[in-house]
Amino acid sequence: MKLLTPLADGLEAVLKHVLVALMVALVGAVSWQVISRYVFSAPSSWTEEVARFLLIWVSLLGAAYSTRHRAHLGLDLLAQKVTGKAEAWLHGFTAFVIVLFALGVLVVGGGKLVALTWELKQTSAVLGIPVAIVYSVIPLTGALITLFALSPASGATTTDPVLGGES
Amino acid sequence: DDVVVLKLAHALDTQHTVHLGMVHMAEQLHAYSGGTMRVDIYPSAQLGAERDLVELVQIGSLAMTKVSAAPLEAFVPSMKVFSIPYVFRDRGHYFRALDSAIGQELLDSVAIARLKGMGYYDSGSRSFYMVDTPVETPADIAGEKIRVMKSQTAVEMVAAMGGSATPISWGELYSALQQGVVDGAENNPPSFYLSGHYEVCKYYALNEHSAVPDILLMSEYVWESLDAQQQQWVQRAVDDSVAYQRELWNTATEEALAAVKAAGVTVTYPDKAPFMAAVQGMKASYDGTEVGRLIAALEGVE
Amino acid sequence: MSIAVLLVTFALLFTMGVPIAFSLGLATLATMLMTMGFDPAVTTIAQRMAGGIDSFSLLAIPLFVLSGQLMAQGGIARRVVAFSKALIGAVPGGLAFVNVISCMIFGAISGSAVAATSAIGGFMIPEMNKAGYDKNFNAAVTATASTTGLLIPPSNILIIYAVASGGVSIAALFVAGYLPGLLVGLALMLVCGIYAKRNNFPAGERVSLGVVARTAVAAFPSLFLIVLVIGGIIAGIFTATEAGAIAVLYAWVLSMFIYREIDLADLHALVLKSVETTAIVMFLIATSMAMSWILAYENIPALVANAMVTISDNPIIILLLINVVLLLVGIFMDMTPAVLIFTPIFLPVAVELGMSPLHFGIMMVLNLCIGLCTPPVGGILFVGCAIAKTSIGQIVRPMIPMFLAMFLALMMVAYVPAISEALPRFFGLID
Ligand code: NA
Ligand code: NA
Repeated sequence: MKLLTPLADGLEAVLKHVLVALMVALVGAVSWQVISRYVFSAPSSWTEEVARFLLIWVSLLGAAYSTRHRAHLGLDLLAQKVTGKAEAWLHGFTAFVIVLFALGVLVVGGGKLVALTWELKQTSAVLGIPVAIVYSVIPLTGALITLFALSPASGATTTDPVLGGES
Repeated sequence: DDVVVLKLAHALDTQHTVHLGMVHMAEQLHAYSGGTMRVDIYPSAQLGAERDLVELVQIGSLAMTKVSAAPLEAFVPSMKVFSIPYVFRDRGHYFRALDSAIGQELLDSVAIARLKGMGYYDSGSRSFYMVDTPVETPADIAGEKIRVMKSQTAVEMVAAMGGSATPISWGELYSALQQGVVDGAENNPPSFYLSGHYEVCKYYALNEHSAVPDILLMSEYVWESLDAQQQQWVQRAVDDSVAYQRELWNTATEEALAAVKAAGVTVTYPDKAPFMAAVQGMKASYDGTEVGRLIAALEGVE
Repeated sequence: MSIAVLLVTFALLFTMGVPIAFSLGLATLATMLMTMGFDPAVTTIAQRMAGGIDSFSLLAIPLFVLSGQLMAQGGIARRVVAFSKALIGAVPGGLAFVNVISCMIFGAISGSAVAATSAIGGFMIPEMNKAGYDKNFNAAVTATASTTGLLIPPSNILIIYAVASGGVSIAALFVAGYLPGLLVGLALMLVCGIYAKRNNFPAGERVSLGVVARTAVAAFPSLFLIVLVIGGIIAGIFTATEAGAIAVLYAWVLSMFIYREIDLADLHALVLKSVETTAIVMFLIATSMAMSWILAYENIPALVANAMVTISDNPIIILLLINVVLLLVGIFMDMTPAVLIFTPIFLPVAVELGMSPLHFGIMMVLNLCIGLCTPPVGGILFVGCAIAKTSIGQIVRPMIPMFLAMFLALMMVAYVPAISEALPRFFGLID
């Protein structure tokens, strides 16, 4: 699994910048909604939809990024108690079930959802963009989570007990 | 057990006439099938919002759903025709059009989204209500912030009349009206009453710019899994419930208007001609398109 | 049957240390596979995950997370501490009061308990240690006082509850949190007062009115954020989500251009950190949305509500029972997943008892605040211990009276609806 490290490192580096850009765009879209209403007295009709779609992308791609850091919330009582072979087995098991979910639900289920909405040409309500584009982040996230769960962790973090993530 | 269970989810609350219509449909189906078919109804958006529910019906984890024709535009572009203002001359024309061949053609057109259109539930006519502006002509909403549904056509319509279209979710609308985020909105009388928006909005102008029906949809896959007899039972039960719900709706509309008047709302019946004139250009912009053809066909119904 | 599959799968994966989001997702999948085929099951879960987070209300979360980060690192915390100290530092045990008040104020602007613990604790704990206070007490008071920021708005956990409950007004929840948050703060200060007296904790330096005025002026731009954000929501100038964006812009301008305590490189790191915090909670929300879907599909909330009503038909007993279950949950589970998992199950029961969803939400969050400070899963506690350089075992003793104070506050909030409902009613946010 160490062979995956360069690939995971490379993708993580790209992902970082994509995530920061998406988050800045998200703040910008919601801010523009207020500004357009008060400063220009012309409420924008597209900002809400854009911001909601950005939230889906930030949330799912960010979840993949957090998988690389093993930053998702969980109970680590057992992991702290066991050592040696048992510890390795436990880590292997956790990686296995994460990959099971990422491939089964995110890649296959998300992929089917993308195919369905693409084939049936569903569009978004305000912007009229294909919904399949919005949903394409689901299988993409599944692929990234699979890679990150199978490659060694990078930069261990402490988690926020209330919201998760670094404190 | 060999009872066929149809799972039906929708986003309305259990007081709504459309929900009561569905309950009637479930009872009729139970009776027609001699208890061999059952409908389980999940109200109040507990299984998702309207757009989600259509996707879940396409996926097949739900058998049926009810969706307003407006959000259905995203799946079936011809549904746009229902959001175009003043396609229907009056309520009588609206029902004759829905029950005509062109109404059935529209219902069948949902097949492109792998859906089966089962019937139209009535959702009345939509009109403007304002916090503190009486509306007699389109000039009265010029520059006013009007909440619209999240639909391109709804945005276009309000813009055509000179208003500032503001898409806000239905759940946030009460406080948005109260706090002046928007100056008004548009909806049918029962929704205006049940949402409590009449507590904030003191003017309701029944200009009846559009009539957007609720459409009962079934998964094409589930429909085809039923035998001919079962299909007939389901269609009969739906047809019964459509007639039943139209009666309920009329009563609900009368009660709603009486209640909002009693609460001090000024209800007016403005001349529709200037509103129709304001949206003429918007309607004309569909000439030569599929939606344009449908507008003409619906308008042509006697 | 389906509830057994759901519970057993979840419990097994959760105790083995599989992250909660994945445990929830797989338990949902196992349950769905009992009633439908693989394809519709996985596609439905994927749909519910994306559809469940496709919400304008939830957009407030990344925004308040980011504004909280900006405040914690941008010099706002330090000015709040200086102001509280000038205000109340001179009474006996003054620094303990300063700590509680600073945590409340910082919680009131940042919306995060852990930001309050690390930002305020980072200043206050070393100072209290130096002044001769017991370090275990110092860690305990910081951890518990930080939780008030989860009730006093803005609060991300209240936004999560609003979404999990199916649409309680965020504005109403925010306003509802004030009195319960202040109540917990006052209860903790009472404990501090008694503790200070019994241990002869020192009084701080008396400062001149000039110093009070100077620190107040320095802290004013930070404190103004409270007026801006909550005032704007109540006055209807913007929605809770939009208020989040305003808070980000305000905190960004303040910390980068006025206080000049962060630069562009800090900003990049800070945004990335906020993305990770956001993503972890949003991914949890996504999988728990899929779980709530299968719960509703299988009519499980109604079954649980019926079962609980058969245990006793006395609302007081059932409410107590719900609180005991939530306290136990809080010991082992973080707050966000606890709110997401137990809201769809307990809220219908509470509504059946005649409780408003607003009141239930405030009670549930206050209840889980206690769990936030208990081992084994109690992150605030760990942060507090780390800063105070003490261990969990040692801070248990000073913690007990504080738990007692919080528990009393919880019982008052549970059985006196007016504490939660009076303010939102006054502002016309509820009927
Ligand atoms: Na707060
Ligand atoms: Na705990």
